[in-house]
Amino acid sequence: MTVNAPLSGTVVALADVPDPVFAGALVGPGVAIEPDAGATLVCAPIAGTLVKVKPHAFVVLDDSGRGVLVHLGIDTVKRNGAGFQVLATEGSQVAAGDKVISWDPVAIRDAGLSAVCPVVALDATAISDPASGTVASGDAIFSWA
Amino acid sequence: MAERLVAVANADGLHARPAALFVKAVTEAGIAVTIGKAGAAGGADARSILAVLALDVRHGDQVVLRADGDGADDALDRLAALLADANV
Repeated sequence: MTVNAPLSGTVVALADVPDPVFAGALVGPGVAIEPDAGATLVCAPIAGTLVKVKPHAFVVLDDSGRGVLVHLGIDTVKRNGAGFQVLATEGSQVAAGDKVISWDPVAIRDAGLSAVCPVVALDATAISDPASGTVASGDAIFSWA
Repeated sequence: MAERLVAVANADGLHARPAALFVKAVTEAGIAVTIGKAGAAGGADARSILAVLALDVRHGDQVVLRADGDGADDALDRLAALLADANV
């Protein structure tokens, strides 16, 4: 399965994310994206069911039971949704690229938080073909066999 | 079957960080553990971060941990203490 960038920005290794739980791949393997200032629209990285949507994070489950987590920023759960707008409905079917959340990465940085977005293959042993450099929303960022 | 009922203490519930630390502890315990919301039927595989996140456990929610076999009681005591710790 190819997992796509949910938003535009620069790929960052998960190990370099400023949170030891994500950086240590405890949530799972994946990559992270440092969003462009204008990357306000966050889209589904794969097709599937939007099994969980919070203002700051969501999980899409594909039909083989694999789930991908997109987490917008670090410690952003503490924002309690401020600055995030959920655009899709939990439980709905999404195609890769469908919009899920709207946010402002610049506002998150202004609030003193990291806006880097881990994209994680939940319960995976490993991922392959991680992208590097700049990516546009929808570009492939890793493969999950 | 050993069982523990515990209220999740983390102010933000079982979000990504505490969920991942919990799953790590379950895996290290080396036995099969299930986790479910109190009052709900069945339980999810506590070794699956996907299953734990999908439960959407909020601050103060009571969850039931279940495990069987040798070491189940000790393992559940440790896991329940982890969930009851507001600082994890």
